[in-house]
Amino acid sequence: MSRAETSRSEAEAERRSLLVEEATLSTWLRDGMCVALGGLATACHAMIGVRHIVRRGLRDLTVVGSAVGGLDVDLLIGAGCVRKVICPYVGAEALASIGPFYRAAAERGEIEVWECDEGQYYAGLQAAGQMLPFMPTRGGVGTSYPEVNPDLKLFTDPIRGETLVAVPAIAPDVALLHAAQADAYGNVQFVGTGYADRLLWRAADRTLVQVEKVVSNEEIRRAPERTALLAHGVLRAPFGAHPFSSPGFYLEDRGHIGELVEAGRAFARTGDRGPFERYLDRYVHGPADHVEYLEAVGLRRLLALGEY
Amino acid sequence: MDAPSIKELMATFIARDITDGEEVFVGTNLPVIRAGALLAHLHHGPSMRVMVAHTRTNLYHTPVMEYFELLTDWRGARWAEAYFNDNEIVMYQKSRRDSVFFVGALQIDRFGNSNLIGLGRDQRRLTLRGPGAIATTTNASYVRRFHLFVNEHSPRVFVPRCDFVSTVGWGEGGADARRRLGLPGGGPRYCITPLAVLDFEETSKRLRLRSVHPGVTVDEVKARTGFELLVPDRVPITGSPDADELDILRRRVDPQGLLRR
Repeated sequence: MSRAETSRSEAEAERRSLLVEEATLSTWLRDGMCVALGGLATACHAMIGVRHIVRRGLRDLTVVGSAVGGLDVDLLIGAGCVRKVICPYVGAEALASIGPFYRAAAERGEIEVWECDEGQYYAGLQAAGQMLPFMPTRGGVGTSYPEVNPDLKLFTDPIRGETLVAVPAIAPDVALLHAAQADAYGNVQFVGTGYADRLLWRAADRTLVQVEKVVSNEEIRRAPERTALLAHGVLRAPFGAHPFSSPGFYLEDRGHIGELVEAGRAFARTGDRGPFERYLDRYVHGPADHVEYLEAVGLRRLLALGEY
Repeated sequence: MDAPSIKELMATFIARDITDGEEVFVGTNLPVIRAGALLAHLHHGPSMRVMVAHTRTNLYHTPVMEYFELLTDWRGARWAEAYFNDNEIVMYQKSRRDSVFFVGALQIDRFGNSNLIGLGRDQRRLTLRGPGAIATTTNASYVRRFHLFVNEHSPRVFVPRCDFVSTVGWGEGGADARRRLGLPGGGPRYCITPLAVLDFEETSKRLRLRSVHPGVTVDEVKARTGFELLVPDRVPITGSPDADELDILRRRVDPQGLLRR
């Protein structure tokens, strides 16, 4: 068919772009949702999304942190956005062995901690991704987990008669992830493994991915085997994991993480929210958007975070 | 060369337990366990594979693997032969069934059951929120063997009964305790502390004193343990690294001297 013969609808049809503007993040998130946050420990948390949640003052969220949940979860707890936490850990390893807001809120009974280890956590996400009511695990048999988390149920497996743990599906409404690159059509590629982000995508209803770079579809097609997941929305986000690291791009900002940890510890120690409120004013409520956030952090500081 | 530090001695104990060809999994921020695994590899395990954080590697022909502190430090991949994503590492335990693993604890009972959940009676109002089990519950159910490792030996840690159990050791006791629970892994073999090495008596699977570190007395260990520890008639001193082991530790495993601080 020559160009002249191309039908009118064919000529005008365009493949739909999934690029999202930061200003429209509000359409993705609302009070009471179950929100999964990707990355792992001190890397690759979707911090534009996290700061957006705090800025809007969303409430009663169920937060599915990553398997080694970071201070992204702690920040949301400190800001009062969280009702329930589903992940095996919240902290920053050597930089903060446990998230100070997480510890304080858990000990005071202000948040619900859905107790689990990584095996159970991943089983729940797998069940959601496979649209099954539960997934069995062995990890947890003989432990306190079925008592401290009544959603984990011991049962007798009908095949071999063994006692196992049934983990109900963990199905987030939205997953917020951060990756190296994607094209405008949601083809997402990582530097590194992407931790368990692909599983969060499989389990969630919708997935929004922040990326360091938006690249051409041709660039994606150069190595299609590297495409790890298909996002429903893509947000251009250079330094979007700051203050956490982004493999291939920058390291964690230990000074900034230290400010956040100190603010949390001051609150946990004395109940003084002053340092945390000042942190929020400076980095969350003050900046109107991600660009202003990066300005508040400072170009010199950002450019000093190179891996090599 | 200076005399070996207690941490170097603990690392050496860990290393001597590991045989060539075994796979060892080390978390992050665990310098003594990391050193033990790498010492085994470089001293007598040329065909081992070691996973430090997510970096799975063989370093036999590599002079030094730099220490890195954080699990996700992507620079660690420079030393890797393989680098899997986190959920695959945890979900597919079949490929880990011949591996050696380590479990930390807030509390340990006489049968080596341990607690990382927290302290208190009510999970909703813990007096101390612990870090949580991370992946230890699942890993310890399957791996060939694991060792308990603690940085404190006191009645706070060694308790008659854990407030919560996040990782099963020998359950209610007895050599068939784990089989009765249907746990296929080999269970805990040693408990390594800054004062001593403990093992499990074969029949009852109760914790037993195996050796005391140099300068530590048996009475001291008994007094610092919050339940009755089995103590054999003769308790040896934990073996020190020999010249070769100490050389490898200081030159190739820990040139920064983290184990001597």
